[in-house]
Amino acid sequence: MNRMKWVFRLTAVSAALLAAYGSAQAADEPVQAADEPVQAADEPVQAAKPAQAAEDDEITHLTEPESSVSLGVGTWTRDRPHEGIFDGMRDSGAYGLLDADVVKRNDATGTWYTLTGRNLGLDSRELMGEFLRQGDIGVSLEYSRIPRDNPFRINTGLQGIGTAGLTVSGAGANAFPFTDVTLGTTRDLTQLGFYKNLMPGLDFNMSFKNEEKKGTRQWGRGSAPEFAVEPIDSTTSQLETTLSYAGEQLQLSGGYYGSMYNPAHGSVSIFTNGVAPSATSPTFLSLPLDNQAHQLFLDGGYNFTSATRGTFKLAYTRATQNQHLPTADIPGLSLPGGPISLEGELDTTLVQLGLSARPIKNLSLVANVRYHDVQDETPVRRFVQTNPACGSGQCVDNTPFSYTTLTGKLEGTYRLPAGYSLTGGIEQRYQDRTVPLSNANGAGGADTQRVVPMRAKVEEITSRLELRHSLSETINGSLAFLHSERDGSEYVSAAAGPGGAPSDLINPIHIADRDRNKVRLALDWAPMENLSFQFGYEDARDKYAHDAARPYGLQDGSAQLYSVDGNYVVNDNWQITAWYSRDTTEAFQLGSRAANGGGTGGLTDKDSRLQDIGDSVGFGLRGSASAKLRLGADVQWTRTNSEYHQTLVTPGTTSGLTPLPDIKNTLTRVGLFGEYALRKNSDVRVDLVHERWQTDDWTWQFADGTPFTYGTTTDGTTVNANAKQNSTFVGVRYIYKFQ
Amino acid sequence: MSPPRYLLAALLQSLVLTLGVALTAQSAMAAEDENGADKAPHQDMVLKGDAKCTRCHDETEAYPVLSIGKTRHGTVADSRTPTCTSCHGESSAHIDNPAGTKVRPMVDRLFGKKSTTPVASRNEACLTCHQGSKRIGWQSSTHANRDVACTSCHQVHVAHDKVRDKLTQFEVCFTCHKEQRAQINRPSHHPIKEGKVACSSCHNPHGDNPKQLVKSSVNETCFTCHMEKRGPFVHNHQPVTEDCTICHNPHGSTIANLLKARPPFLCQQCHNHTSHPSQASGLPAGRTTATTQLGSVGRGCLNCHTNIHGGNSTENRATAGRFRR
Repeated sequence: MNRMKWVFRLTAVSAALLAAYGSAQAADEPVQAADEPVQAADEPVQAAKPAQAAEDDEITHLTEPESSVSLGVGTWTRDRPHEGIFDGMRDSGAYGLLDADVVKRNDATGTWYTLTGRNLGLDSRELMGEFLRQGDIGVSLEYSRIPRDNPFRINTGLQGIGTAGLTVSGAGANAFPFTDVTLGTTRDLTQLGFYKNLMPGLDFNMSFKNEEKKGTRQWGRGSAPEFAVEPIDSTTSQLETTLSYAGEQLQLSGGYYGSMYNPAHGSVSIFTNGVAPSATSPTFLSLPLDNQAHQLFLDGGYNFTSATRGTFKLAYTRATQNQHLPTADIPGLSLPGGPISLEGELDTTLVQLGLSARPIKNLSLVANVRYHDVQDETPVRRFVQTNPACGSGQCVDNTPFSYTTLTGKLEGTYRLPAGYSLTGGIEQRYQDRTVPLSNANGAGGADTQRVVPMRAKVEEITSRLELRHSLSETINGSLAFLHSERDGSEYVSAAAGPGGAPSDLINPIHIADRDRNKVRLALDWAPMENLSFQFGYEDARDKYAHDAARPYGLQDGSAQLYSVDGNYVVNDNWQITAWYSRDTTEAFQLGSRAANGGGTGGLTDKDSRLQDIGDSVGFGLRGSASAKLRLGADVQWTRTNSEYHQTLVTPGTTSGLTPLPDIKNTLTRVGLFGEYALRKNSDVRVDLVHERWQTDDWTWQFADGTPFTYGTTTDGTTVNANAKQNSTFVGVRYIYKFQ
Repeated sequence: MSPPRYLLAALLQSLVLTLGVALTAQSAMAAEDENGADKAPHQDMVLKGDAKCTRCHDETEAYPVLSIGKTRHGTVADSRTPTCTSCHGESSAHIDNPAGTKVRPMVDRLFGKKSTTPVASRNEACLTCHQGSKRIGWQSSTHANRDVACTSCHQVHVAHDKVRDKLTQFEVCFTCHKEQRAQINRPSHHPIKEGKVACSSCHNPHGDNPKQLVKSSVNETCFTCHMEKRGPFVHNHQPVTEDCTICHNPHGSTIANLLKARPPFLCQQCHNHTSHPSQASGLPAGRTTATTQLGSVGRGCLNCHTNIHGGNSTENRATAGRFRR
C-alpha cells in the first residue's frame, strides 16, 4: 500500500517544482512579483497550474514510451579468435559503439513508430524499423548480420579460395607460396513483416525473410585428407502468411509457409598443381543444390467448456530438389545414361489432435495424438555402376528414407492439499522406417549397398511421475521420475561395408534397444524476504541392450547435473546473484578393430569410455552507489574437461598412434560497468571486460603438439588452433534518453 | 529587486507552498473513509478505470504499475487494451476491505513469485486475449503442464520485457534450464550469448510441438537456418534425414560443429566396419595420409567423408557413395 506515499510524492514533487519554477518566475519577472504579492496569496489556483503541469510531466515520464541513443567507442587490447567469432570484434583495436532504441507512440491513434539499431558500429549490426497502428495495421523492416569467423590460423598454398575452382599446392617445384588465410561467413538477413487486423479477432500476418549467406567454410577434398574450402554463397528465402482468428471459444490459425534455398555454386573442382588430369584428377566435389518447400497449415483450438479444450494441427509440406546435377555434365565422369537431376520430393503430413480437461476440480488431464509422416517420394535410380554384377560397393542407387511416427500421450495432474500436486503421464511412440533394400544387384537379394543394420519399426514408451509443491512463499519444488524403454523390430542386416559381416555387428545408437531412467529434483527456497536459493539435480542413465549377434555400439551412458543459484537483495540499492553448476556425462561404447584398421591379427575388440565434466560459476552484482551512479559486475568462469579412455583388447597395436590426451577448456570473463547520470536524460557508461580463454585441445595437433599438417608431399596446409586468448575491452559511451 | 522585497516575495511563496502541501495532504487524508477508500473522484492515469488502483499503487511499488503505460497494454487507443481489473479481477475485497482487516485481502488474481493464485487462473487472464496464433496449443504444452505461469517469464508492466528481447531472453530461460546455461559457453555454440540467436529462434515456449520447437520436427526447425541440409540428396546419410540431434547438440559442445561426440567415436556409434572405420582413436606422430590414423585429428572421419550431410555427386565411382564427393 502506498497511498500516502503517492499523494505526498506528487504533491511534494509539484511543490518542489513550483518552488523552483516560482523562484525563476520571480527572478524573471521581478516587477510583477513585487507588485502583486497579494495576488499570489489570493489566487492559489494560479500557483497550482505549474504544479499540475509538473504532475502531468511526471505522469508522462512514467507512462510514455522512452527512447535512447548511445554513442561511444571501445577497444580490445588483443585478438579474440575464439570468443570473437560471432560478435564482430574478433580483432584487436577500436570499434564504434552505436545503438539506438527510438520508440514513439501517438496516444490518440495508438500508433507506434519504432527504430531499433544494435551494434551499428560493428559487423554484427542490426537495424529494425516498425510502424504499427495497434490493433489495426503494421509494417516492419529489419536487417541483421551474423558474422562467423573461423577461429583457426590457417597457413596454406591453396589457390582459388571462395571460388568453385581450387588448386592444391603440389609437390616439390609445384608447391605454391603459402599464406595465412582467414575463413568465415556472413549471414545478411532482411525481413519484411506486415500485419493487418481485418475484423475483431481476425488478423493477417505476413513475413518475408531473405538471407544472403556469403563466405567460406573449412572443408576437405574428399577421399584424400587434403585441405579444401567450401564456397557457401547462397540465398535463402522464407515467406509465411497467416490468417488467424481468435474468438472466445474458437481459435484458428492457417496459412502458407514457403522456403527456398538457392546456392551460387553447384560443385567445386579441385586440382593438384602439377598433376595431369586423369580419372581421379581433378576431384569434383558436389555442393548442396537448390531446394524448396511449400507448406499449408491449419491449427485450431476450441473451448468446449471453461474446463475442456480441444486442439488440432494439420500441415502438409512438399519439398523438392530438382536442380540439374552439375557433375552429370562432366564428360566421362558419370554413369552413361544416368540421371541428370534427382527429381527429389519429400512429402510431410502432420495431423495432431489434443484434448485438455479438468473433469473435477482437482484433476486436470492432457491427451495428445500425433501423426507425423515424412515420405521421400524420390524415385530410386542407379547413379554408380562400376560392374554390372554389382558386388559390394560396385553399384549405388539413391536411397530415399521415409518415417511415419505415431505418438500418443496422456498426462494427468491431481491437486493435493497444502499446495502439492501429483502428475503422472505416459507417452507411446511408434515409428515405421524405411530400410533400403538395395536393388543395386538388379534383382533384390543380398543388400550390396547399405552399411549399417536398420530396423523397420521402432517403439518407445515413456512414463513419468512428478510430485510438485507450489504456491508457497518459502519452499517450492518438484521431484520427477522418468522411465522409458525403446525397442523395435528385428534388424535388417547390412553386409555391404568394408569386410562385409562386421558391419552388421552393431546396434546403431538412435535405434538401439534402450532403457532410460531419469530423476529430476528442483527446489526453490526463500529463507528470508531478501534471500533465495534455487537447487537443481538431474540424473539420467541409459542402458543399451545387446545380443550376441550385435555386441557393438554404445553400451551405456549417463549424465548428471548439479546446480545452485542464490539471490540476495542487500538493500533497495544493491543486489547480488551467484550460481554454480556441474554437469557430467559419460558414455561407454564397444567396437571391433580389424587388422586392416590399424590392428593386428583378426578382428578384436576395443572399448571407449568418454567422459565430460563441465564446471560453471557465475556472479553478478547490481547496485546504485548514489542517485546518479549505477554500478555492476559480472563474472563468468567455465571449465570443461574431456577424457578419452580407450582399451584395446590387443594392446600395443596402435600403429604409431598416441592415445588421446584429456582436453581442458577454460573461459574466464569479468565484466564491470558504471553508469553515471549526467542529467535526467543523459548518462555516460563505462564498460571494462577482461576475457581469458585457454585450451589444450589436440584436434589440430600431432602427437608432439605441432600443428596439424595436411598431406605428405602435396598440400602442406597447417592449422593452428590459437590455444590461448587474453584480451581486455574498455568502452565508453554516451547515452541520451528522451520521450 | 531589493532584498527586502525579494525576501517578502519568497516568504509569501513559501507560505503558499506550505499551505498548499498541508492542504493537499490533509484533503487527501480527509478523503479516505474508514476503510481507506477515497470518496473524492480520482482520475485515471493510464488505463481506463485504473483510478481505483492508481489512487494507491504507483511506480514506487516493488513491481511498478504506472509503467504499463509504456507498453502495448498501455495503448488505450487500441480498444482491446485491458484495464487493471481485466487481469487482476474486480478485487472488491481488496479495494473496500469490508472486514476492516489490518492487512487487506489480496487482489482476486495476484501474479508474481509469491502469488497464491493458482497458475491456471493466472494464465487464464492472459489467455483471454492471447489464446490465438502460436499459443493455440498452450494448454497441451510442457510449460503449461509444469505449472509455468505466463508471468514466470513475462514482465507485463515494463517497457522492456526481457524475454522478448533476443539479447536478454536466455537469462529468463536459464532461470530453469541450467544445463543449457552451461552449454552456451562451450567452445562450439550458436551465437546465443552474442544476442544473434534466441531460444525462441528454435523453440516456441507456448507451443505443443515436440521439445516445444517452432516447427513440427527437429529437422524442419533446423532447416529454417540450415536449408542446405534439407536435400534430398543423391547420396543421403540416414541420420541426417531423420534428426539432426542424433549427432549435434544445438545448445553447445566442446567439440567443433556442435557435435555430441568426437570422431571417430561418434561415427563408430553406428559404423562397425573392418578396414579404417574400425581404427582406434589416437594422434598420429606426424604428416600422414593413412586413413587408419586420421579419424581423430583435424576433421576426423570428415577429413575424407567431407560431405557428411549428403552428396549430389554423379561420379561413377563407389567413392561417391560414401559422402566423399
